[in-house]
Amino acid sequence: MSIALRGIGKRFGEFAAVENIDLDVPSGALLALLGPSGCGKTTLLRIIAGLEIPDAGQVLFDGRDATFRPVRERKVGFVFQHYALFSHMTVFENVAFGLKVKPRAERPPGALISRKVESLLELVQLEWAGGRYPAQLSGGQRQRVALARALAVDPDVLLLDEPFGALDTQVRHELRRWLRRLHDELHFTSIFVTHDQQEAIEVADTIVVLNRGRIEQLGVPGEVYDLPTSAFVHRFLGQVNEVAVQMREGRAHLGPIDISADAAASTAGSIALIRPHEIDVGRGAGGWPATVLTVRVIGPVVRLELQAEGRKAHPPLEAEISRERHEAERFGVGEAVNLKFRRWQIYPAGIPAD
Amino acid sequence: MIGSAADTTDTTAELRARRGRRPAGSAALARLLLIVLALGFLTLFVALPLIVVFVQSLAKGFGAYLAAISNPMAWSAIKLTLLVALIAVPLNVVFGLTAAWAIAKFEFRGKSTLITLIDLPFAVSPVIAGLVFILLFGAHGWFGPFLQAHNLRIVFALPGIVLATVFVTFPFVARELIPVMQAQGKDDEETALSLGATGWQTFLRVTLPNIRWGLLYGILLCNARAMGEFGAVSVVSGHIRGLTNTMPLHVEILYNEYNYTAAFAVASLLALLALATLAGKSILEWRQPELRRTALPRRDRGRRAKT
Repeated sequence: MSIALRGIGKRFGEFAAVENIDLDVPSGALLALLGPSGCGKTTLLRIIAGLEIPDAGQVLFDGRDATFRPVRERKVGFVFQHYALFSHMTVFENVAFGLKVKPRAERPPGALISRKVESLLELVQLEWAGGRYPAQLSGGQRQRVALARALAVDPDVLLLDEPFGALDTQVRHELRRWLRRLHDELHFTSIFVTHDQQEAIEVADTIVVLNRGRIEQLGVPGEVYDLPTSAFVHRFLGQVNEVAVQMREGRAHLGPIDISADAAASTAGSIALIRPHEIDVGRGAGGWPATVLTVRVIGPVVRLELQAEGRKAHPPLEAEISRERHEAERFGVGEAVNLKFRRWQIYPAGIPAD
Repeated sequence: MIGSAADTTDTTAELRARRGRRPAGSAALARLLLIVLALGFLTLFVALPLIVVFVQSLAKGFGAYLAAISNPMAWSAIKLTLLVALIAVPLNVVFGLTAAWAIAKFEFRGKSTLITLIDLPFAVSPVIAGLVFILLFGAHGWFGPFLQAHNLRIVFALPGIVLATVFVTFPFVARELIPVMQAQGKDDEETALSLGATGWQTFLRVTLPNIRWGLLYGILLCNARAMGEFGAVSVVSGHIRGLTNTMPLHVEILYNEYNYTAAFAVASLLALLALATLAGKSILEWRQPELRRTALPRRDRGRRAKT
């Protein structure tokens, strides 16, 4: 089922949670709503689910207006961050809930319910847990039960609110891949909310970056990461170093490096954002002299903190180099090096710091 | 207030464990002193009077005790008390549930006023509560002429007694449920709705099981107070023997007539009802932490096992 939002707005008292949101989610998409806390992503998800009624705008399901359609008639599966399993019911009863509350005429016979629940538990690899209570399961297992429960009523849309937010890194990684596989097998439309850019990049086909109740950028994961259209998106997706552009003799510079070839850099006071892996650390001549402050090996990469010349008042620059390069070069703490920037992006002055 | 009973048990257990590790000394002495003080106070002011009630009621033998209870006036007081509790408690369960639901699950203007209003019966003297109903529904009260014209009796009759009792016992269920419902949030209900449950199915199958212990506890306390209420009921009842006398009022009348045996016999019945209620409450309290204790280690085990 395709979903469309037209000019959606929602206020809580004086606070505008979302403003004038237009969004099209094609049938079968796996879309991530990404943003910092308070950006309105959960409100938007709850509006799609029917748990909140927007103050303005329209929600369309398959082109038909569903703005005021009650939750129970929307055929959406909703999964909460903290699972919201019914603690007084067994896992089996939890999954069967949506089938058992159907009106008598639509309710499948008991044997059919049992078979369906068992096949769903098999799908989430918990066929052994039917008789257990939620309190007897781990977080990852509970979230899989919540998913099975949501899938039991054959929803057209699956909505997930920070589904992996409460889990350990390991479990989270495993569940992300599992959700992706599940989505590819079952072909429903899914929207999930996350504040974790890595999660959004790993799982979704489309990422919607939200900021202050508005859509900041929409695109496929690689595009949003590599070609951010605003400083906010650039900062939010991954680490960045910020270097102010300086004008000397009419030419734009980052430290001693002349970047006047970059047309965007010609205004004074603009700022360059550079990702850690876009900084070249070397011993050769030329570039921006700097001192190595710390060296930290993080699995396959090595992160260096660097104090560039004339930047005492600013936080140190962060560079990331490959493990192999580090083994070859062996930069030591206190060593003098030269920095070059492989890539950067210029943003105009006066952009807010968040 | 009362809702945290189980939490308090946890903290005391923790404290005890911590204290156990500390070296004995002046701390041990202080502990002994506090225990003796608390126990002594309770014996003197709670246990002893209770024992006296039973001793006095049986002072002239079991026969006299039975006679006192089976007296038609006593019997009608017992029936009236049970009837009032039977009406007042279910009403307050409904009021308490709706108030707690509104406060815990919705945001609205005047919420803090509502919370204060719920506490009002605790804050005002029951006598004043009774007087308010006289002022409203008495012969010279606001609605008095109207009621008289339509031949309706509220004050000095069963409706008045029920009203006064409902007023005085209103906070128990609501106060008990608000923290429980607030702690649980709306996720479970919203999940049930998204799975296609109706509002009523959601309430019966999801909300009610979640709050069942808090609700039972509130009902027990509400019931105990409903049966024992004196002040407010005394003002509105009119003390018509065999008609509007509840057990507490009947005890007072017997006592004023120097009929001590009968007074204490009825009082002992009231005390027994109260004791039964408290026993029920203790059983609930005893079951609740046990449920938690079995659930907690399991959850820990599950977490360690990972997925």
